[in-house]
Amino acid sequence: MIQWLRDLPIRRKLMAVITATSAVALVLASGMLLAWDVVRFKADLRDDLETLTTIIADNTTASLEFNDPAAAAETLWALKAKPEITAAGIYRPNGELFAAYEPSGGAGLPHGRLTDGLRDLEGAVEIVGPIVLNGQRIGTIYVRSSVAELYQRLRTRILTVALVLLAAWLLTFLLSSWLQRLVADPLLRLADTARAVSAHQNYGLRATPHGKDEIGVLVTAFNDMLSQIERRDAALLSAKDTLEHRVADRTAQLSAELIERQRTERELEVRNDELEQTNRELDDFAYIASHDLKEPLRGIHNYSRFLIEDYADRFDEDGRAKLETLTRLSRRMETLIDSLLHYSRLGRTDLALDEVDVQEVVDDVVDRLGISLREQNIEVRIARRLPVIQSDRVRLGEVFANLITNAIKYNDKPQRWIEIGVLDAPGAVGGDPSGEHTFYVRDNGIGIPERHLDTVFRIFKRLHGRDRFGGGTGAGLTIVRKIVERHHGRVWIESRPDEGTTVFFTLRKGN
Amino acid sequence: MRLRARTATLVLAASLACATGIAAQSSGEYDVKAAYLYNFAKFVEWPSESFPSRDAPFAICVLGQDPFGQGLDNIVQGERVQGRPLIVRRLKGWDGAELCHILFVSASVQQDFDQLLGGHTFRRTLTVGDVPQFLTAGGHISFFLEGSSVRFAIHRANVARTDLQISSKLMRVARLEGDAR
Repeated sequence: MIQWLRDLPIRRKLMAVITATSAVALVLASGMLLAWDVVRFKADLRDDLETLTTIIADNTTASLEFNDPAAAAETLWALKAKPEITAAGIYRPNGELFAAYEPSGGAGLPHGRLTDGLRDLEGAVEIVGPIVLNGQRIGTIYVRSSVAELYQRLRTRILTVALVLLAAWLLTFLLSSWLQRLVADPLLRLADTARAVSAHQNYGLRATPHGKDEIGVLVTAFNDMLSQIERRDAALLSAKDTLEHRVADRTAQLSAELIERQRTERELEVRNDELEQTNRELDDFAYIASHDLKEPLRGIHNYSRFLIEDYADRFDEDGRAKLETLTRLSRRMETLIDSLLHYSRLGRTDLALDEVDVQEVVDDVVDRLGISLREQNIEVRIARRLPVIQSDRVRLGEVFANLITNAIKYNDKPQRWIEIGVLDAPGAVGGDPSGEHTFYVRDNGIGIPERHLDTVFRIFKRLHGRDRFGGGTGAGLTIVRKIVERHHGRVWIESRPDEGTTVFFTLRKGN
Repeated sequence: MRLRARTATLVLAASLACATGIAAQSSGEYDVKAAYLYNFAKFVEWPSESFPSRDAPFAICVLGQDPFGQGLDNIVQGERVQGRPLIVRRLKGWDGAELCHILFVSASVQQDFDQLLGGHTFRRTLTVGDVPQFLTAGGHISFFLEGSSVRFAIHRANVARTDLQISSKLMRVARLEGDAR
């Protein structure tokens, strides 16, 4: 029942509510009215009957007192005017009937002593009262009234009320069917709009504006909500578009970059391969060249020695001097070629990797150079114990030897020192086996001008005169770089002229 | 309709009424008439001037030979009318008759009816006679016999000349004589 009422369209619901309410009110009011009528009719009947009885009683006092039943009967027959009175009688105090009124024949007046009071009979009411004169009871009156008329009046009343009720209810029904639109129509329109919106996902629809009541507020709120949804949709859509565009752009950019990078990498690879190839060829060439050059050079040197030894007396002083120069130059050339050979061999031979204690290597080198160091009064400082690494022991010794030799050579200070040490790369301290050590060799020598910091690594490049600072081939730093690079390390120099030079190189801790 | 039983009187009155119906001619006739005299007091209004004081008694007088014997005294014994006690006086002559409220003129004083002078003498006294001529002589009420029943007649014209008010109820049970005009 309640579910059914809940699902009823609002139009019918409103009408049902109005008509039901009014029906209840009408029926209740009519019922009360009728009940009141019944009560009032009965009370009226009793009152009327009592009044009537009292009047008759009063009018029959003289008849009783003067023993005139005819006069009493005459008085009683005046009741003919009231058709509902079906019987009446006057009794003497001893219960003897004194006068009777029986319009429809002997309808049976009661006999004997009667009890005062009002009693309901079948379809009638009877009343028994005293007849009093001068404060004394001189007789008894009996009146019987039919209630048929009362019921007739009640029936008429009920019919009237029912008719009025029906008419009122019909009017209510008509009125409600007209008035319910006031509430239902805007709601229905709103519901239609809501249905349309939800069915077609069309947030551009709007409910028809209404007055300023709660439904009006609802319509306005609904429309506002739709506007908000619409705005949000639009914003979302545009945001999505923008995002898609941006993603597409970025993707395109990235793929372009990726392609470019791949291309560059391929190019680099090719270039690298080419370079390696060229390098190998160069090494081969340098080796072959130097090796093959050595042979005739040896001849030139030997023959110049022969000339000096066997034909010295046949040359004058000038000639001998020129021969000495020739010998010296050929020896120098030999040294250069040896260096070149050595250098080229570095590129050609494989490294003999092993666990190497760098401290040991440095100690060895310092020992070997000990005489030279002592002669020149140079202090060698080792800041802390050098580590053990995976390296080619001989080549590493060569690196340190070259660097220490350079440090000894290019120093004009009275108090000379060399510092050998290792830095740990920040962030790769200790246990990281794939990390690298940065070793350095520092001196307080003459330093290198900044513009030469790169050129010093070029082979046979010397910054100073051939014989200044103890001479040399100018291959030392080149060889150092070659060895370090073969260990996959790097070499660089920091220097201030007249203050000193530090050569850094990195080596891997392990493999 | 308050019921107040004065049983003694009631029973007496009823028995008297019954008696009149059966044997009015006999000694019962005057018992009925005595009761009627008393009853008249209930249906007639006397002006207040007719009573010298607030609790002055209501006087029923009998003029001439008394036909009631003790009957009248028995009836009014202990009764009250309009709050006043009832007394019975027996008069020897007309002197002081105007002080009575009800005056019963016995048939024995028939020759002195002229005294009534057409009712002019008694303005505050209800005069009751026992013979038909009483009314023509100026009396107010006169008893007569209808078969065996005691009835009475009221002369309205004579009553109209007094200060008395006779109830219509009394009129209804009486034979009426004399136009009020």
